[in-house]
Amino acid sequence: MSYAYYPGCSLEATAREYDLSFRSVFTALGLEFEELEDWSCCGASAAHATSKLLSLALPARDLARAEAQGKEVVAPCPACYQNLKQTREYVLESEENRAKLNKALEGTGLEVKGEVKVRHPLDVLVNDLGIEALAEKVAEPLEGLRVVPYYGCYITRPPGKESFDDVENPTSMDKIIQALGATVLPFTRKTRCCGGPVMVSNEAAMHKLSYEIIKEAKEAGAQAIIVACPLCHMSLDAKQPEIEKHYGEELGIPVLYITQLIGLALGLEPYAELGLDKNIVSTEKIVQKYSKKMVKAKAE
Amino acid sequence: MNNNDKFVKLLGGITLSGVDFKSEVIAAGGEGITACYQCGTCSGGCPTVSAMDYTPRQIIRMVNLGMRDRVLSSRTIWLCASCYQCQVRCPREVKITEVMAALKSIAMKEGYNSNIANPRAVSFYRNFNEIVANLGRQFEPLLLLKATLGSREGIASKLGYLLKNAPFGITLMKKGKLPFKPVKIARGDEVKKIFENVAKMEAGE
Repeated sequence: MSYAYYPGCSLEATAREYDLSFRSVFTALGLEFEELEDWSCCGASAAHATSKLLSLALPARDLARAEAQGKEVVAPCPACYQNLKQTREYVLESEENRAKLNKALEGTGLEVKGEVKVRHPLDVLVNDLGIEALAEKVAEPLEGLRVVPYYGCYITRPPGKESFDDVENPTSMDKIIQALGATVLPFTRKTRCCGGPVMVSNEAAMHKLSYEIIKEAKEAGAQAIIVACPLCHMSLDAKQPEIEKHYGEELGIPVLYITQLIGLALGLEPYAELGLDKNIVSTEKIVQKYSKKMVKAKAE
Repeated sequence: MNNNDKFVKLLGGITLSGVDFKSEVIAAGGEGITACYQCGTCSGGCPTVSAMDYTPRQIIRMVNLGMRDRVLSSRTIWLCASCYQCQVRCPREVKITEVMAALKSIAMKEGYNSNIANPRAVSFYRNFNEIVANLGRQFEPLLLLKATLGSREGIASKLGYLLKNAPFGITLMKKGKLPFKPVKIARGDEVKKIFENVAKMEAGE
């Protein structure tokens, strides 16, 4: 089965390495996908704050397109994932809801029926591919690497009928990390908000929340924080130098997308295939230690 | 407070349309709000509560009491990060995050948010929608610029914010993470049509 890949706006810009590593890892694992043709923005938090109907109507266009192809949607950005997933749930809830959204689509020639599932890559990896199959593909086990998995909000919240992980203590990323040979450290802020959604409107609130997450990871002895959300990545990685300055404290913890970590263990090329040179906090130490491809390239 | 609000206040929270505030919030998506028994679980788990003027528990009570103007001019609604922590823990299944979103949407329609604590919130949402309506997708560099220039701050404050963020933009650009040109989708007219349809449907309700 092939998936309809919905990158979302962030993956075309600030989260380019998530897009790159997603494509490389899914390809290497034999998971077929094709980018959803002419997809549009899901509306993110802005549509949600403007009108409930708008927040459902924008993703309905994308869902309708995927339905026409009969493909399940895979959306790496948890905000896109939630918006698309909630739209499907809304359509399936009642005939009335379905009619309402189709009225909003009038004149586009599209119809939404709620026929295809919306999946997050973590869900696909754990439940379609399976942890054992993933472990078998590991070429370079990440032995000795200690990390914390940070899930943030929208991977599990709000839960729906097709949720794939626990809302208070998710473990899908934990299982994947362990299958790669790395060590998962206990971490209490797995699902505590990073403050990303208020980054532009209230910087101080975002700084505080992200600082607490990074600080706990550091105190736990983590060598990296592993995420699966472009907004979490922006708060914890791209904003980390700013947070360091604000709190007058050196943090220096690399933040990797889960797909970058998987790619390393699969033996993929760290920069061309995984974009590990695009993270703001340097990932060099981890790349040097765990990427045989890098070690070889240096020796040559 | 404008004349309309004064009048609404005189009527004890009853709006001109005759709908009380909590029904208005429910209609905008804030389901379950009347079931609240004030346990405070929402406030206890809220990540941004320390910066709020009213806790989420207080806001819910104020909505139920019809304190329209105070709720809509609160700082709280713009500090909600929509993280859904409160909503998943609520023992009464109040859709608290949806209540906050409903409050934001009502406040935006009525021109609230003169609050200096969050000058860019409304401008951010408005410009986000505008860019999506025009291009079909978001274009982050333009959004930051427009959200700042369209905010309620003074010109010095706007420029200060942009200057402060300039090095960050340069860092992202050096990493190839800030595109120079927006992507315009092929059938952008479909997205425009959706915006138009939604506006019509909401005006008709």
